[in-house]
Amino acid sequence: MSDAFYLGYDDSMPPSLARFLGRVVFGLAFVAVVVVVAVAASQSPAEPGDYGFGVETPFEGVLMEEPIPLLQVGSGAGSITNYVLVGSGKFGLPAFALGHGGKRVHFNGSLIHKGDQQMIELNDEKSFSVVSDQREQRTGVLGMETSLSGELVDTKCYFGVMRPGAGKVHRGCAARCLHGGVPPGLLLRDTAGRSVVVLLSGTDGKKLDFDTEWAARWVKATGRLSVRENLPILEVERLELTEGP
Amino acid sequence: MSNHYRAIDWNRQKRRYDLVLAAIVLGGAAVFLGVSAWVSPESTAETLILRTTSITSFFLLHVVLAIGPLARLDGRFLPLLYNRRHLGVTLFLLALVHGFLAVFQFHALGDENPLVSLFTAYGRDYAVLQNGRFQIAHFPFEPFGVFALVCLFLLAALSHDFWLRQLGSGLWKSFHLLVYPAYLALVAHVALGILQTERSPVLPLLLGLGFVTIASLHLLAAGQESKRLRASKLLASDGFIEVGTTDGLVEGRARVVIVGSKRLALVRHLDRIYATSNRCRHQGGPLGEGQIVYGCLTCPWHGWNYQPNDGCSPPPFEEIIPTYRVRLEGTKIWVHPVALPLRTSTEGPLVPGANLSTGTTSKL
Ligand code: FES
Repeated sequence: MSDAFYLGYDDSMPPSLARFLGRVVFGLAFVAVVVVVAVAASQSPAEPGDYGFGVETPFEGVLMEEPIPLLQVGSGAGSITNYVLVGSGKFGLPAFALGHGGKRVHFNGSLIHKGDQQMIELNDEKSFSVVSDQREQRTGVLGMETSLSGELVDTKCYFGVMRPGAGKVHRGCAARCLHGGVPPGLLLRDTAGRSVVVLLSGTDGKKLDFDTEWAARWVKATGRLSVRENLPILEVERLELTEGP
Repeated sequence: MSNHYRAIDWNRQKRRYDLVLAAIVLGGAAVFLGVSAWVSPESTAETLILRTTSITSFFLLHVVLAIGPLARLDGRFLPLLYNRRHLGVTLFLLALVHGFLAVFQFHALGDENPLVSLFTAYGRDYAVLQNGRFQIAHFPFEPFGVFALVCLFLLAALSHDFWLRQLGSGLWKSFHLLVYPAYLALVAHVALGILQTERSPVLPLLLGLGFVTIASLHLLAAGQESKRLRASKLLASDGFIEVGTTDGLVEGRARVVIVGSKRLALVRHLDRIYATSNRCRHQGGPLGEGQIVYGCLTCPWHGWNYQPNDGCSPPPFEEIIPTYRVRLEGTKIWVHPVALPLRTSTEGPLVPGANLSTGTTSKL
């Protein structure tokens, strides 16, 4: 033990002790900075995405309820953009929008998007109105039979509400969202780290019936893959839990 | 001689301690945010807050755990121990922000009570044996965080001296051992959480390094202590036990010795040798590592004082520690292992041929 005896209730400490502690504190601060920089630098970058939280935008288009809730908005030039529809919080299409499949509707909502994968959060019940009761039908596209493996994600978080919105840390949230009706997606990544989400639907134009606890786990989906304008959709015939890549 | 025993209040050293603490926490958080904004500009604010609070809190926990053994290995670290509870409370508050935000962000606004969802969102993966295969990587990490947060809360809430008095120092001390299960739970929380998402080797490396540092400091301190406290074997027919010699026991200084099954403090004051209990009445600090300050044996941890001749704190304080009979034969010190009745005043034996005041720093 050193000669310098420390008394915490004194206003000062022996100078030799103060010097020693000064060095200790300096060393500690140095270690803290090194650790913090190393941890921060080791993070894999979150993917871009956007969530217009609190920003209400008017939308009008044809509402599709099944197999995946969509709003189809045609542009003047004849092209169509599909917006996936979800509710606020961790919920899928809200009750006020149910039963209007095929009708032209108008509402205000918040835009969520990752690149051209677009989604609208319907969070303003009062603004929701049916423009035309006439139901429009869309003929299904016959897709190509394929098998895809990737992480099962909830599309709302992944499209931009949470960044990052995938992986184990986010798993509880993904399970909660899928359980609440947010459409499931299969996250595929290529070796260059680029990613795309394929929306998962059931067969025969129905919602996919699956185990929501598989959220954020690696799954293999087999079915028919088709592309609806801006959205790839897999009509799943078989979904299996697998181990990672 | 003035009565130097006063209540602990906010003084300059304490303010300094807190300033340094705040600077390290805020500085660390700022650096983390800065680098994160550069490495991952698309991260949401929630993600950044969750990560900043977790890294700062977990780092502080390592510091808290390192201070104890460091102070045992080298007394110069003792001042860091002195206000360690400030570190504990700070790291709890950071962890609380982390926990609260995580529960809200990941589990609220859904179709289940967030506090239930926290434990059940993917509850089937609690089964470590699935389809005949052992799996641990998918095991929920959230309950470990909850457990640690509850421990840290209890530690922070009960860190005040009020609870120390209510519980008694023994119970209070052993209660604070909760910090170890909390730490282990956090290791599991990190290993089963972010380590399963991030693929960089930096995180597992740092986690392992932290664990090895904490564990080896504790082992070193325990080893050094057991070496220092070699049990004495010599026993006289009248029950006195030889505990060493006066050599090296400088005026104003103390030493920890083992007498029978007890640890006692031997102290030399005005060239007389006294033996008292080694356990400070405050938090059980090692009085044998203390010194004489203003005529009192002073605890190295928080400075409580005891008169070496009768074990009483100077008035108006009322703490008393047991004292023991001491005998000198030449330079050999013998101590009787049975404590004297409390408040018994003894006149410790005079060190033969001593010339007074060899102590350097003791304030006589
Ligand atoms: S343990 Fe706190 S003063 Fe002794």
